[in-house]
Amino acid sequence: MAMAFKMATLGMKVTEECKNSFMEMKWKKVHRYIVFKIDEKSGGFTVDKVGASGEGYDDLTASLPDDDCRYAVFDFDFVTVDNCRKSKIFFIAWAPSASRIRAKMLYATSKDGIRRALDGIHYEVQATEPSEMGFDIIKDRAN
Amino acid sequence: MYGGDEVSAIVVDMGCHTCKAGYAGEDAPKAVFPSVVGAVDQMDVDVPDNPEKNLGSAPDPNSTVKTFESEKEKSKRKFYVGSQSLGFRRDNMEVLSPFKDGVIADWDIVDCIWDHAFRECLLIDPKEHPMLLAEPSLNNQQQRERAAELMFEKYKVPALFLAKNAVLTSFASGRATSLVVDSGGGSTTVAPVHDGYVLQKAVLSSPIGGDFLTDCLTKSLESKGISIKPRYSFKRKEIRPGEFQTVDLDFPNTTESYRLYCQRVIASDIKECVCRAPDTPYDESSYSNIPMTPYELPDGQTIEIGSDRFKTPDVLFNPPLVRTIQGMDNYFETAASARGLPQMVIESINKCDVDIRRELFSSILLSGGTASMQQLKERLEKDLLEESPQAARVKVLASGNATERRFSVWIGGSILASLGSFQQMWFSKAEYEEHGASYIQRKCP
Repeated sequence: MAMAFKMATLGMKVTEECKNSFMEMKWKKVHRYIVFKIDEKSGGFTVDKVGASGEGYDDLTASLPDDDCRYAVFDFDFVTVDNCRKSKIFFIAWAPSASRIRAKMLYATSKDGIRRALDGIHYEVQATEPSEMGFDIIKDRAN
Repeated sequence: MYGGDEVSAIVVDMGCHTCKAGYAGEDAPKAVFPSVVGAVDQMDVDVPDNPEKNLGSAPDPNSTVKTFESEKEKSKRKFYVGSQSLGFRRDNMEVLSPFKDGVIADWDIVDCIWDHAFRECLLIDPKEHPMLLAEPSLNNQQQRERAAELMFEKYKVPALFLAKNAVLTSFASGRATSLVVDSGGGSTTVAPVHDGYVLQKAVLSSPIGGDFLTDCLTKSLESKGISIKPRYSFKRKEIRPGEFQTVDLDFPNTTESYRLYCQRVIASDIKECVCRAPDTPYDESSYSNIPMTPYELPDGQTIEIGSDRFKTPDVLFNPPLVRTIQGMDNYFETAASARGLPQMVIESINKCDVDIRRELFSSILLSGGTASMQQLKERLEKDLLEESPQAARVKVLASGNATERRFSVWIGGSILASLGSFQQMWFSKAEYEEHGASYIQRKCP
């Protein structure tokens, strides 16, 4: 078993809160985005912030810290060229260069744990600075 | 399962050029010393000196010392490890590297280097500490088993883990997927990492690393009449305040490998001080008039370095350039078969699955001492922008901090071994005793 996969799936706990809020976002559409973080003491993922359905992508980027890592899921609603309403869920691994190496290592090795617990993610993005997760990149990937 | 979190683990990254060792959780290695050893053949010294020893007569004090020392030596060789003992010239001392073509060929030397790191640099008992070793991405099964055997049998470590260089670099920068360009002393390796796993089939390696560039610089300077005098070959005296006199010393029993080693120490410092990657491919005519940069050699002589500042690093990008350097004739073949850095990156990415190529192009990570060269990141990014597919968003990332870039592998290992979620990963002594060395493949894939 690949190293990171084992570390993330056996070593980190995904709380019910994480799974439930993701389900609420996916089925009930009550959240636009959810930000997750790792609590090293308890060895698991927790919900850091949820964004109401009225909020947008900018609100998500604004809620990510400049000097610490996070994971985020974003529900992207759009209308295709043939006037079809669609929704795609993005998973974003945020590891800004200013964060501590310990945090980067922890988040990179734990990613699979949360990523696999959340069923229904369409696209994955990893970013170390805002330009790598610009809205243009999100639109690009969804089309 | 081994619960290693009570005692801090020891992390060792033995590169072709330098060995880095220290405690897990710290942000820089405690011990950094050359990965080469000085070796003196004991047969040469012992036999003519005390023939009575072979006859089994009463040991004189002299030979007791020798027997004591010989406990450390293997196959009648005495080894000297560490920059300090290597800095001291000895008659007939050869400088040997455990590596041959980027893989470990001599395990006696490895043993010596590890021993030096544990007992003389870190002052620890390896029996008490779990051990994380960084290994080259191209390490084969035999090498890994040998490392496990030595660690468990000789050093009796309680637990071991082998982690690939590229994976450590990738995680340390917060990415599970990336293309790691590791340019170190002995070679340059390009390895794609996907979800924390090295895609072995797409790993590419070339023998052009820091040592090769250092040799290019030395030969190029020699062809211009500048010779670098090894530190041992002269004495510098202050005859009047502020005025020095250099006296050449002659040691006929110095080996060629030792002379080269000493010369390389100086030449690599020149390289690190003055060299920078040129913004565009090097050509003789446009660099013929660039201003000279002075450098003071240890013997007090000041040399002026011009186009070589740019020409040397360009060999990384364009290996056939070696043909224009006098005295590098032996390396023409190496240069002819080696690819330049941008070609290696593109070729490696093209060997990967189409779905992940985009992502690899946008997360190219630099690591290793040679990759820390000034302007190297900018030049690589520029060359790749020109040669990569249009849709790719090329991004070369490197830590702004030179120490972090140079030691990225070690730092990655240090942090990894200190994470709570990692402690379940160790290959324990009990597991080794039950399943044998080949189990390393299961525990550390």
